[in-house]
Amino acid sequence: MLRSFFFIIIIISSLILNSCYNNPDKAIESEELKLNLIQSYIEIAKDRQNSEAERRTNLEKAYSICSTLNNNTSKINKIQNISFIYYELKDFDKYKDMNERALRLSNSINDSLNMARSYAYLGIYYRPTKLDVAYENFYEADKIYSSLDYQKHDPKKYAFDHGKVLADLAQILRKTKDYSKSESLTIKAIQSFELAENGLYIPMCYTNLGNLAKSLGHYDEAIEYQQKAIDYAKGTKKEILQTLISLNNMGTVYKSQQKYKEAKESYNKALSYTDFLSKNPKRHALYLDNLAYVNFLSNDTSDIPDLFYKALKIRDSIDDKNGIATNTLHLAEYYQSIEKDSIARMYAKQSRDISLQLHNNVELLQAYRLLSKISDSEEGLEYANNYIALNDSLVKEERAFRDKFARIRFETDEIKDENLKMTRENEILIIAILGLTALFLLGYIIFRQQQSNKELLFAQTQQESNEEIYRLLLNQQIKLEEGRQMEQQRMSEELHDGVLGRLFGVRLSLDGINQRANDGFTETRNKYIDELKAIEKEIRLISHDLGAETLPSDVAYIDAVENLIGDLCEAHKIKFDFHNDEDIDWESVDDQKKVNLFRILQESMQNIFKHAHADLIKINFEYADGNINLTILDDGIGFVSSKVKKGIGLKNITSRVSQMNGEVQFISDNNSGTTVSVSVPIDTVRVEEIY
Amino acid sequence: MIDDHPMIIEGYKNTLLGENQKEYQIKIDIASNCDDAYANIVKSSEGNEYDMLFVDIKLPPSSDGSITSGEDLAKHAKELLPKAKIIILTMHREDHRIHNILKNINPAGFLIKSDLTSSELLLAFNNIIKGKAYYSATVNDHFRKMMTNKFSLDEKNLKILYHLSRGVKTKNLPNYVSLSLSAIEKRKNQIKEMFSIAKADDQMLLEEARKRGFI
Repeated sequence: MLRSFFFIIIIISSLILNSCYNNPDKAIESEELKLNLIQSYIEIAKDRQNSEAERRTNLEKAYSICSTLNNNTSKINKIQNISFIYYELKDFDKYKDMNERALRLSNSINDSLNMARSYAYLGIYYRPTKLDVAYENFYEADKIYSSLDYQKHDPKKYAFDHGKVLADLAQILRKTKDYSKSESLTIKAIQSFELAENGLYIPMCYTNLGNLAKSLGHYDEAIEYQQKAIDYAKGTKKEILQTLISLNNMGTVYKSQQKYKEAKESYNKALSYTDFLSKNPKRHALYLDNLAYVNFLSNDTSDIPDLFYKALKIRDSIDDKNGIATNTLHLAEYYQSIEKDSIARMYAKQSRDISLQLHNNVELLQAYRLLSKISDSEEGLEYANNYIALNDSLVKEERAFRDKFARIRFETDEIKDENLKMTRENEILIIAILGLTALFLLGYIIFRQQQSNKELLFAQTQQESNEEIYRLLLNQQIKLEEGRQMEQQRMSEELHDGVLGRLFGVRLSLDGINQRANDGFTETRNKYIDELKAIEKEIRLISHDLGAETLPSDVAYIDAVENLIGDLCEAHKIKFDFHNDEDIDWESVDDQKKVNLFRILQESMQNIFKHAHADLIKINFEYADGNINLTILDDGIGFVSSKVKKGIGLKNITSRVSQMNGEVQFISDNNSGTTVSVSVPIDTVRVEEIY
Repeated sequence: MIDDHPMIIEGYKNTLLGENQKEYQIKIDIASNCDDAYANIVKSSEGNEYDMLFVDIKLPPSSDGSITSGEDLAKHAKELLPKAKIIILTMHREDHRIHNILKNINPAGFLIKSDLTSSELLLAFNNIIKGKAYYSATVNDHFRKMMTNKFSLDEKNLKILYHLSRGVKTKNLPNYVSLSLSAIEKRKNQIKEMFSIAKADDQMLLEEARKRGFI
């Protein structure tokens, strides 16, 4: 006692210390300490040497700490442990209360094993009083045990508990005379116990099987089962008890078979365990009474009614009311047989009263039957009626129980079906949702695809229209150029052949006439004639300038390029140096390429204006080995190629170049400017666009 | 006198028939296009041949298109009227044209209209009558340039240079000069070597050619 108090004090103090730290490790430690504390309380409560009040207070303490536990599984286990002690203390309401709590907790964390256990424990609570509720609980437990996943739970671990539940169910069903179901459940129970390798309850199961066989009239089988029960119990603690029970049962079977000799043997054998029976007066009295009754039935009246009285005396001394009810009934039967009706009536009434008190309907029924025979006609009729009524009600009750059990099974089956239906409905719902989601996603993807296709198409048409615009621009420029040139040519020819010719004619004529005239103004006129000659020269120069500009049309592209460069550079106040290799035959270059080169140039120059801080741009078109090489060079700050993420400008350039099957290089070092060199083959056919 | 401008013919007449010119009796036929000129030449070749022909280079071509310029006309005249002195009078002063005319026609007189004065025309006229060729200063200049070169360029090379100078691409040259592209390239390289600018580009070639008077 002192030691355990000391132990508790240590634990409590460490708990208090622990609560000062808010540390997960400490929390686990404190959980462990709590468990230890609970265990120590339970140990005290278990100790039968302690007073009942002390045990109860310890249980309450244990439970109050239990409710502060975080881990639900250990909480449930502790609560169950507490409930057992309440059972031991015969505080069944507390026992029930604890197990109901355990069941709720198990439910909340979906712990199947503990749910089944809790149902089984509750079944045990209802077993003596409410058969149907007990049945319901055991049935639930069995259902959970039967449906446990073999992969998650080792069946060996719960087979023993399951076996107990099955045995309980079998007992209940036997009591309501549902023999065949009881039999199959008993066999299942035996299988479970065998699986669990725990034979503690196997003899009991065989006893049950024997009783069932007897009830069904299979007497030989019944004897066999009882014998098996004895065999299984051999070597166990319950060997003698089980042997006595089975011997008694065998005696009953033989009695039913009217094999009185064998019956007597069995009872006598049972009665030979004098040492055991001296400690168990109840059993002793039972066997004596049974032996006496068999003697009476077999007309061996040598020690009758003394044997009955011997049994009754023992029963009276221990106030075994059930025993007394049976005993007095037997006596009544005996006295009726020797036609001492008044004594018989007295015993029968005594039996009836006790049975009524005990609700022992089996004996009550026998009492009524006997009384109806030995009473006066009027009284006898009343007893007969009582007998019939009771019999009917008993049959009804049995039937009601059976119906109720069937309903429990059906309802749970129905719930199962409903659950199945619901899960199926849920499945359908989930499938439908998934399907719809998939459909929606598909639709969305298709929509996006179409959208991006549209975008691509749009980009394509935009490019095409860009090209078209450029082509038109170019054509217009060419036409303009052509027109200008034609006009220049026309003017040149007009000046050269017409104006100049006529001017020459006039001058020559004047000169000729001047040679002839001698009026002293010859020199003056010669001066004007020279002036005319100078005018001619000037006109010829103009004409030559005009006519010599018979530029080929491909110059127009380069003009456009030069205009672009000139305009942009002027706008940004940057010097430029443009050179075009005359060997490039721009006329034969695909418009697409011209557009692309034009745009690349534009893009590159924009980059230079935006980022390079350059003073000079050098642009060079060069022809080499069937390639046009465009080099754009600046003297700006440059960039570190690896560090600059490719902007949209560079990407555009790269994509344009790859469209033309060309190559592009961006060469730059910090502070040494940037060189963009593009090389594009002239002859290759344009790559088909892949849309 | 063949010229499409009556004013010019008037000028010639005024000069030749003026008071400074009294030694010769001059009878002049005039034509203003190739058809008339050719008809006159043919007619005169049958009797009463012309002594002298004044030929303009740029003329309205003949109706059948066989004669397109004074150059063609002069060629016919040389055949039909072998004794006649041919004087070319033209506005064109480009070296290659001068070169071509000299080579194809070898005229007795070659006068560039823009240089020409009345007195020069008279001088030329008198010289040619006496059997002495007369060339304008520009033509003589051309001769001089050709002579000072240690080498001469043939007609094809000159054409190449001429068309290049007009801005025609080397690639398109076969359309203007009846040579294959590779032959043209070869010739271009030869010219560059002659000019001792072997690795120069076209622009430098043209500059050099201009300097040397080939264009």
